[in-house]
Amino acid sequence: MHKTIRTLTLLSTATLLAGGALAQAQTFKFGAIHYQPDAKTSGLTGLGVPAGADVTVNSATTALFAYEREIAPNMGLELVLGLPPTIKAKASGTAPFLGEVLSAKNVAPTLLLNYHFGEASSQLRPYLGVGVNYTRFTGATSPYGWQVSLSDSWGLAAQAGVNVSLGKQWGLFASIGAAQVKTDLVAVGASVLRSSIDLRPVVYTAGVAYKF
Amino acid sequence: MINIRAAFVSLLGAALLAACGGSEPYIPGSGSPSGAPTTKGSFTALVTFGDSLSDLGAYAPATSLTGNGAAPYFGGKFTTNVDGNLGKVWVENLATTMGLLVTPAEVGFAGSSVKCPAKLANAALAGTCTAYGQGGSRVTDINGIGRTGGALTVPMVTQVANHLAAFGSFKDSDLVLVWGGNNDIFTQFSIFSAAATTIQTDAATGKITADQANKLLFDAQTAAQSAAKAAALELAALVKTQILAKGAKYVAVFNLPDSSSTPFGSTLPATARPVLSTLVDTFNLWLREGVTGLPVQWVDQNTAGKDVYANPAKYGLVNNSVPACDAAKILAITSGAVTDGSSLFCNATPGVPYNGLRAGADIDTWQFADGVHPTPGGHKVISNFVTTQLRAFGWL
Repeated sequence: MHKTIRTLTLLSTATLLAGGALAQAQTFKFGAIHYQPDAKTSGLTGLGVPAGADVTVNSATTALFAYEREIAPNMGLELVLGLPPTIKAKASGTAPFLGEVLSAKNVAPTLLLNYHFGEASSQLRPYLGVGVNYTRFTGATSPYGWQVSLSDSWGLAAQAGVNVSLGKQWGLFASIGAAQVKTDLVAVGASVLRSSIDLRPVVYTAGVAYKF
Repeated sequence: MINIRAAFVSLLGAALLAACGGSEPYIPGSGSPSGAPTTKGSFTALVTFGDSLSDLGAYAPATSLTGNGAAPYFGGKFTTNVDGNLGKVWVENLATTMGLLVTPAEVGFAGSSVKCPAKLANAALAGTCTAYGQGGSRVTDINGIGRTGGALTVPMVTQVANHLAAFGSFKDSDLVLVWGGNNDIFTQFSIFSAAATTIQTDAATGKITADQANKLLFDAQTAAQSAAKAAALELAALVKTQILAKGAKYVAVFNLPDSSSTPFGSTLPATARPVLSTLVDTFNLWLREGVTGLPVQWVDQNTAGKDVYANPAKYGLVNNSVPACDAAKILAITSGAVTDGSSLFCNATPGVPYNGLRAGADIDTWQFADGVHPTPGGHKVISNFVTTQLRAFGWL
């Protein structure tokens, strides 16, 4: 599975970078991205953790940067990057009194193949995209002094959005997306705490686009 | 453009590389020891380090019938003692199976002790003084349980040092069994219990909220778990640097039984009992982690003990909830000195005036002598299990 996705990504990346001599439109996007996780977990388990303890993951907003390259008249390959936001997890279930248990930054590049509806000259162009998301968690810390490790995640991603042209080069965009992001958490302190977290994030983005 | 492309390449490249290297997080305690011998040993000594469970009578002088520390003794082992050394603990049973003699490495009480008393009686027995376990002993801390009352509580780290001082090194012909940490658990559990009492009182009187109380209880438990972890890792380090590195070949490390599955455990409040169990499990997890990769064998006393407690009949036991020793009788026999019914002072010889057995108790079919220590019947279950394990390893 992973191998397939990696191969896919490599191929897409190669396509993205292959850029022929033909003048194909390129778009830079800047804006904001809001991650709204709807996490499902296996619970938080470990010696000393009350039975029925769980974690909830908060939402985060950060700066977005994306680059899209036209590869066919209505098709574009888009790489979405964000300034890694800090994701915080709070204890829940039977143990809300534990409060925040960990925080980590998530680096989550997403590569999407977009299909743009309408003509290149249209002012309003909706688009749909599918692709892959890679999420890596870094700098995980815990107020409890745990050493936190989170496994990397590869998963499918999809988005629906719209571009609004404001002229030849400038435009606005907004999108809503979703990605498969699953991670295994291991927190080592006096004991070993574990959880499997399916983040199920819904991702909202909006910003300005510059085409050339 | 070239710069941007280069940036993408490096970004994605980094991501892909990270993905290749980024496997699942490591889970401590999930590994195993490896590399222990698989061939039969030619054993000439059974060397045991530990606590009251492997104590062959270190504190016998405290049970002197004449009250002056001299024999005869009415107690001395943490089981139902029977005159003529007939109340056997698991170490003695195993030694018998192996055709070996094993005697206490040190005997004494209240500040005076003798090393290898068997040698003083008969020089030919010098090599038999390899039972180092003492009631109350901890892994590295000399302040064991009962030390203020006169118990030696020589910690395991010193037990091993004493063996090296007496014998120079371990031999291929030594069977070395390491089973300790229970008293580190009990020590931490009593610290936790004291803290918990204060926290619960503060919550009951409205000084703190229920959430604050829960958080403080969690913190107190975590502190106890941290101490259990430290003790377990110290024990693993002792095995590595002072036992294996000093020549021992046949080494088995036992994990701890669940102290909450005892008559003592059943007296604990429902909120405290699982904490005791958690501390034991925490110790066992880190001991396992500490010996991962070391050439030792692992003896899972915890799982074995749970089965015994849940299915006593399978092991020929009919009672695992009532101590065979009568605390009131022991109080009387010791003229009020021993209030907790400790089996160290419990004698089960029929007809003697210092018999401390509860009416109707049977030392072969009741599992426990006191709140936590097994009867000879309970010890038999342990030695049977250990023997089975040693045979499974190919060592016996």
